Amino acid sequence: MSDIPKRITLQEWDLRYEQLEKAGTYEPDYGGPLSRHVEDGDQRLLKLRYDNSAAALRLWNFLLTEEDRLHQARAAGRKIVGTMKDLGTVPVMAYCFENIVAFYPDGAWWIPCVMELGAGLLEIADSLGIDESFCPVRAMLGAFVTGAHFPIPDMLVCSVGATCDDFSAIAQRLNGLGHPIFWWEIPHRRRPEPDETAVNLPGGFSAPKCQVEFVKSQLERIKTTLEGLAGEKLDERKLSAGIKKANQVRRYLTELRHLAFTAERCPLPALEMLIAEMLAIHFCSDRQETINVLKELLDEVTSRVRAGKGILDADAARIFWVNPVADLQVMNLLEDCGGRICGTEYLFTHALDIIPEDLPPLEALAQMALADPMAGSSIDRAERICGDIRLFGAEAVLISRIPGASHCALEGLVISEIVRDKFDIPVLEIEVPPVTDSMRPTVHTRLEALVETVKARRQK
Amino acid sequence: MICAGIDAGSRAIKTILIDTENMQVIAKGLADQGVEQDRLASELFKRVLKKNGINKKDVAAIVATGYGRSAVSIADTTITEITCHAVGVHHLVPEAMTVIDIGGQDSKLLRLDTAGRVRDFAMNDRCAAGTGRFLEVVAERLGVELESLGRMAANSQDPAAISSMCVVFAETEITGLLVSGTASEDIVAGVQASIAARIISMAGRNAETPIIFTGGVAMVSGMADAMQTALGQTVSICPDPQMTGALGAAILASKQLKKAST
Repeated sequence: MSDIPKRITLQEWDLRYEQLEKAGTYEPDYGGPLSRHVEDGDQRLLKLRYDNSAAALRLWNFLLTEEDRLHQARAAGRKIVGTMKDLGTVPVMAYCFENIVAFYPDGAWWIPCVMELGAGLLEIADSLGIDESFCPVRAMLGAFVTGAHFPIPDMLVCSVGATCDDFSAIAQRLNGLGHPIFWWEIPHRRRPEPDETAVNLPGGFSAPKCQVEFVKSQLERIKTTLEGLAGEKLDERKLSAGIKKANQVRRYLTELRHLAFTAERCPLPALEMLIAEMLAIHFCSDRQETINVLKELLDEVTSRVRAGKGILDADAARIFWVNPVADLQVMNLLEDCGGRICGTEYLFTHALDIIPEDLPPLEALAQMALADPMAGSSIDRAERICGDIRLFGAEAVLISRIPGASHCALEGLVISEIVRDKFDIPVLEIEVPPVTDSMRPTVHTRLEALVETVKARRQK
Repeated sequence: MICAGIDAGSRAIKTILIDTENMQVIAKGLADQGVEQDRLASELFKRVLKKNGINKKDVAAIVATGYGRSAVSIADTTITEITCHAVGVHHLVPEAMTVIDIGGQDSKLLRLDTAGRVRDFAMNDRCAAGTGRFLEVVAERLGVELESLGRMAANSQDPAAISSMCVVFAETEITGLLVSGTASEDIVAGVQASIAARIISMAGRNAETPIIFTGGVAMVSGMADAMQTALGQTVSICPDPQMTGALGAAILASKQLKKAST
């Protein structure tokens, strides 16, 4: 465990890195000082605050070297599959093949933030007719055009149907640019009619059996296509083994979330928690290393919790955060304002739930895919959020809207009304663009006011 | 003992000094906001002290609030305008359950508990369409004084429908309405109804009464009526509405001081 857990700047990390290096701390081959990533143009890193543990260093280095890993995979003759939009289903399958690496091109939506708009990706999207009225994930188009942020994949797989309309439009534009996409359909999850056979899904939802069967048929199509790409058959044994590995990631994350969100003193910053959770979607292009990174992080957090140490004051306002932010700095800002994260719903809770291991593997994956919060209604999301608010003891909810994103125009209203009805706690909506610098005072006021409100409500 | 509150808003800076023994206002002042926010706040504060014969060393604590609060270097601490408006309004209207605050650059709706604490709040987005800035743009475009907007709206026969979600687009819409011969009175009434509608969307299904209207825009005649019509409930204007944030800040300065001394 780090001596005194705290949040530090990038400059402070350089000094800390020297100490860790002198102390002989283990580093993987992608290790090194964090500040070296600024040379690649990741200017935003200079403005963030980081956890000071070696585990956090490993997490950040793992995240920021994904592009290198993809290039290494290509050089080694492995096939690269871009798995778009389903946030956690196809990667589980893809990683069952020896010579396939899956990654998440949608992750390019953070490049404008991390490079402080310096990469020009949004401008390229503009020039392709996908302007700022669309979700910032349109940066992905620019990344494909420049080819500068990831190698062009050998295959693209994208879900459509009950997904974000913006993303579907952007992906279609990508397809039109000469990047063929293998489309698969995810239906809008509905509750079973009385005369239908109901299936209980991970996450506490249910769906009619016919929907599960349909999704299973879609996954069969993907499996066949991946087999063609890999030149390798994917039998049930291999798929089951892949599901077990994915579940190992999910178990670590479940434990990490529970510890971090319920500890008396916040043991890990919101930013590192966000990145850790994101690993569940696509394993950052290395499933086994994801497991190793999360294990080290979990060990660090466990030690801190046992020692009663944390990175924030014990009276920090306990905030449940809904939707990921386009600007990572806003996660720091909540903590600067006196808040801490106690629960998250970043639109991929299905990638955190354990995939059933007692079912035929494709059936299990189909059930998991149907449990995607984006495939269901905002009411379903709100119910799950309420369950987690109860579990983690959150005192307020913060819904960060993604400009242009169209998961559901009314999701903020639906979630806030249901949460208020059940818990009578404050719910605040904020909009977070990729770079919030010009809006910082405005966002700061809202977050600070939320924290003040929570603390005032504690006084009986 | 004297405590002070400074509300550094986007359009104006307000300051209030209170006697903590009886929580009565003993001095207050207002100045236009500008680029040099710290200097302007400091000058206003000194002016108010001088005018009322108060020595700076007699002011035990200063809390700054408002959009520019972090720039006010003479303040001992800062508290957001959400909390300060709630405290200020509760002090003046203890039974208030909902506070509508429309300032120059933002608008907010606060839900209070019976002790005057904020239970929940909502604020407008980046767009200024629901704020005082919208009224200023309209007054400029129509070539009239802000003060005359209420009278004009009262004379409206057929309020115009303003549908734009953005002040810039709304200005274009107003130009179009003028070209098509729409009466200025109807445009003003339409704009006031549009601002009120923005607030209603923040209020959601239920705005608990009494509803108190505060902030600089509450002084623009016709706005409370527009709000009342949109909400279908009585909306009362807070006494001295532009000063409630500064008042709340002064009261909170006093409370913090008392807490520190016990």
